[in-house]
Amino acid sequence: MSNDKILLKAEHIDKRFGITHAVNDVSITINAGETRALIGENGSGKSTFCQMLCGIYSIGGGTFTLDGQEMHVKNQVEANKLGVSIIVQEMGTLSGLTVAENIFLGHEDPFMHYGIKDTHAMIKEGQRLLDEYGFNNIRAGAMIDSYNFEDRKLVEIVKATYMKPKILIVDETTTALSQNGRLELYKIMDAVRADGRSVIFISHDLREILEHCDTISILRDGEYIDTVNSKDVNEDDLKRLMVGREIGSAYYRTDYGKPISDEVVLSVKNVSVYGQIEDVNFDLHRGEILGFGGLSECGMHEIGKAIFGASWGRKGTVTLADGTNIDDIPSAIKHSIAYASKDRDNESIILNESIRNNVVLPSLDDLAEKHILKSGKLNKFAQEYADKMQTKMQSIHQFISDLSGGNKQKVVLARWLGKGSDILVLDSPTRGIDVKVKQAIYALMSELTAQGKSIIMISEEIPELLGMSDRIFIMKDGKINGTFNRSETLSEEDLIAKMV
Amino acid sequence: MQNFKNSRLFGYFILGAMVLFFYALFKVLSPTNFGSPANLYSYFQSSIIYSVGGCGLYFIVVMGLFDFAVGSNIVLSSIIGVILSEKFGYLGFVVGCLGCGTLIGILIGFLYNKLNVPSMIVTVGLMLVFESLAVFVAGGVKQTLAPELRFFSGAPGNIILAALAFALMWFILNYTRIGTYCNAIGSNEFTAKNMGIDVKKYKLIGFALLHFFVGIMAILTVSYGTTMTALTGMSTMSRNFQPLMGTFFGVAFRKYGTPISAIVIGEFIIAIIFNGFVALGAPTTIQNVVTGAALLIIVTLTARGKRGSVVK
Repeated sequence: MSNDKILLKAEHIDKRFGITHAVNDVSITINAGETRALIGENGSGKSTFCQMLCGIYSIGGGTFTLDGQEMHVKNQVEANKLGVSIIVQEMGTLSGLTVAENIFLGHEDPFMHYGIKDTHAMIKEGQRLLDEYGFNNIRAGAMIDSYNFEDRKLVEIVKATYMKPKILIVDETTTALSQNGRLELYKIMDAVRADGRSVIFISHDLREILEHCDTISILRDGEYIDTVNSKDVNEDDLKRLMVGREIGSAYYRTDYGKPISDEVVLSVKNVSVYGQIEDVNFDLHRGEILGFGGLSECGMHEIGKAIFGASWGRKGTVTLADGTNIDDIPSAIKHSIAYASKDRDNESIILNESIRNNVVLPSLDDLAEKHILKSGKLNKFAQEYADKMQTKMQSIHQFISDLSGGNKQKVVLARWLGKGSDILVLDSPTRGIDVKVKQAIYALMSELTAQGKSIIMISEEIPELLGMSDRIFIMKDGKINGTFNRSETLSEEDLIAKMV
Repeated sequence: MQNFKNSRLFGYFILGAMVLFFYALFKVLSPTNFGSPANLYSYFQSSIIYSVGGCGLYFIVVMGLFDFAVGSNIVLSSIIGVILSEKFGYLGFVVGCLGCGTLIGILIGFLYNKLNVPSMIVTVGLMLVFESLAVFVAGGVKQTLAPELRFFSGAPGNIILAALAFALMWFILNYTRIGTYCNAIGSNEFTAKNMGIDVKKYKLIGFALLHFFVGIMAILTVSYGTTMTALTGMSTMSRNFQPLMGTFFGVAFRKYGTPISAIVIGEFIIAIIFNGFVALGAPTTIQNVVTGAALLIIVTLTARGKRGSVVK
């Protein structure tokens, strides 16, 4: 669909955050009718680049020229008016407003007459758009709060695309969507391309990128590396371009047929959480990686919370080998259970705190000497485990909010490594994380299980489940619907058959 | 069922059920002294002053701000209104109260934006200033509203004025950008900024609107009481809380799309509880304890976050 007309020209785009050079003199051009993927490790500058394009960040240097016109935008609405819109990874709709108010936020002018808003016309137009997109289960006049995360993401898709932007940026959105939601998004991306407009698509799922994008631009450490045609490369080529070296066979585990220890370290019996999971039973063995998979909303994420004592109204028992019951978070931590949530920023880390304080948090009792905490000891402890995880940081005193998603996850893991946890519950451990950090996390998981530690890995990524788990439980409607042992012959289709 | 639980009708259902519950409770406990139609009408009239203030406070509370200068503005604006009424009659009275109220709101909003410190601190500081200013303007003398200017002291004047205030709020919330933008700022200020919303401007508008409604409260307050005395030493602080209780109802019922009705009915419920205790002959301290507890129970039952959610 791409033609030779240049739609977007980015010349010498530059951005610094303090001493971090987030985007370093990046120049790319995107043709009309093209879907361009932007890939790179966490912290490579791809999101920052796009956020400058759509007015969320000011431009540090360089120029964007859209359809021959140089852009000078101060916020998203100004970018929208020039023809650039974005769908973000996290929640992009606002509570307390109706669906229609969210769709038209900042664009109310067509509904304003002498300062008075024609609310009925706004709702009617919102509903017309929702129906046109096929999202007719969503009511434009209803409060946005009455819809779940995925429906709100669909509203955001309408909001970003109804005005037919010349450039649509999709920033790691697909991980928030179910398979159906993803298909709807792909259809919209195809329609944009067919219409002679362009899409910038950011994702860590390389297979998805190769399937849906025409060309791929690679950024590394804020610098432009190359642009390639999707037809000319494979996943390994992209990994190599992203990381700057070969990422090959060591990506996932290669061992098969390793016997699972008979020693049970954790027993989950008849565990239910109302509306989430029902009558779940399983044993976790020493040195095992037990994978949980399924469609979003299948209940698998609640499993992690239930084991860690973080579920409200949990029924049933979670018991350690010595008979200790785990009913709440303090007892879970005390008895060497660690938990890394899928919602990293809200549930795993304290954003407005330093890396040091995030790492030492659960270990303060162990580090205290006669109830006194000594700064030097805390620093040493945090430095040791942050280094062990090869966290990319300026110092342990840097705020964790400054780090990329992958490095935040390293801090979370450093915290539990430091605590010496024997059972790790990792929910979506590589969500939004680039291949290099993924590889490091997988290597760490193998190392930990070799030491006799046990891992429950909850994942929405089927290759990850197949590649890393000793056993896989597939959840459906809150129940375990299928159990698989690690095998070379196990396929994605086998797992999918139990998910749907 | 889930749709019904999120609907406006369900919101009205809960509010109605609460009115009936408290009415029935006090009617059983005090069948003769409480709850005749005339009594209920009286409770309603006493509650509408606070409902007006609750409507004004909604604009800033929904943005995550607070204002402790409401009480001091009621006193100052009503004193200014009464002084002006002596020369210009009703025009001076109404314009004095509304004008002074609104100007104070603009001043608070301006200082809040310029000083960049929490609204609670700004308004506590300004409360002390306004209290002293009221004493200075009144010259230490009790200000009395002339008998011929007391149209708003009872029905229908007070009800007409309050109804106009409620209608104005309904219009602003539903048919202007202000309502949408106040909610958006309260939900996520950063995103609101990225949507091109001038956050500082709308916070200033929020304070100005709040204190315009406080100006209406001043008209009703001095009309009901006929006199106003300026006092210092944070004595106006207690005037802040009753309107705020109505606002809590409004914020709690926002999810049902019924904030104004919730403020008005919520204040009526509080009036029922207050008067119920009066009918029972309970001491004021007990009344306050039980009213506070009732507010906590009501808001907990209607507005508490999901289990496990973080509430600040």
